[in-house]
Amino acid sequence: MDGNPFLTEEQKQRYQRQLSIPEIGVDGQIKLGKASVLIVGLGGLGSISSYYLAAAGVGTLRIVDGDEVALNNLNRQILHSTLDLNRPKIESAAEKLHRLNPECRIEPVRARIGEDNGLDLAKGCDLILDATDNLASRHVLNRISLARQIPLIYGGINGWNGTAATFIPGKTCCFTCLFPPKDLRKLEMGIPALGPAAGVIASIQSMEALRILLGLSPKLAGRLLDFQGKEIRFRTIRLEKNPDCKLCGHTKGG
Amino acid sequence: MGHTIRIIVNGMSEEVPENATLVFLIELFKEADPALIVEHNGRFVYPQQYDATTVAENDRVEFIHPDFGG
Repeated sequence: MDGNPFLTEEQKQRYQRQLSIPEIGVDGQIKLGKASVLIVGLGGLGSISSYYLAAAGVGTLRIVDGDEVALNNLNRQILHSTLDLNRPKIESAAEKLHRLNPECRIEPVRARIGEDNGLDLAKGCDLILDATDNLASRHVLNRISLARQIPLIYGGINGWNGTAATFIPGKTCCFTCLFPPKDLRKLEMGIPALGPAAGVIASIQSMEALRILLGLSPKLAGRLLDFQGKEIRFRTIRLEKNPDCKLCGHTKGG
Repeated sequence: MGHTIRIIVNGMSEEVPENATLVFLIELFKEADPALIVEHNGRFVYPQQYDATTVAENDRVEFIHPDFGG
């Protein structure tokens, strides 16, 4: 690494402990620095994934959330603190992320993602990290992922448990293959959520995001990871495209 | 429903009727959930196949309930 023109001395120190990981090194670090990630949701999952990705030196994080910090968020949404109550989450998050790593460009967007703004929000991003808390938003993210042809890393939790999967347009099944919109339940409000369950799932999503940005093969592409926190048990199952899927059923892959 | 067979459901050994379908097992084990994911002998099964899929002795079935909170 000595004399490498692409990393400053400060960067070499900041990222020292990951530069020594064979799959990363200087080249990988530079890749991360050029990458952009869209993180939708700054709650239990987004608190963790945005912090890890900023810390790891991902160049740009576009963070999207329409909510303010509420007291019942703070059992798990550890990017925010009691002092941040009633502040917009994007503002609280941008401040913490900037403090953690001023090199990381934070693009805060105060909005609820939908059909109207989704495509624009994903413009220029290499992947979408799902940190939302409902099915409807995830269907929007899926459509954006397919339209922009960028991976979607899904994660969700319930109580002690959580699930995660990576959807790669044209290669794997899509989110809608698994959960057709007819299954859309009423907006899930107040799903139980334990902090460490969000931590486990968001950490796995972050690892998957870093793999993709580094050009390594995503390990949850076409697989669903199920974490049972009460048993500390992990299962993964292989997913297949749903031939009846209205969104991606006509494209090849499996 | 004369004979019963033993299969593994979510890692536990269970006794079920011979030729039970996945639809029957979902009912039996109270796993109904619009977002349910079913794995049968390591293979993913889509809901439209639950009715036509039957289990045999020593089969493995996993029921997974995906989570959507955050």
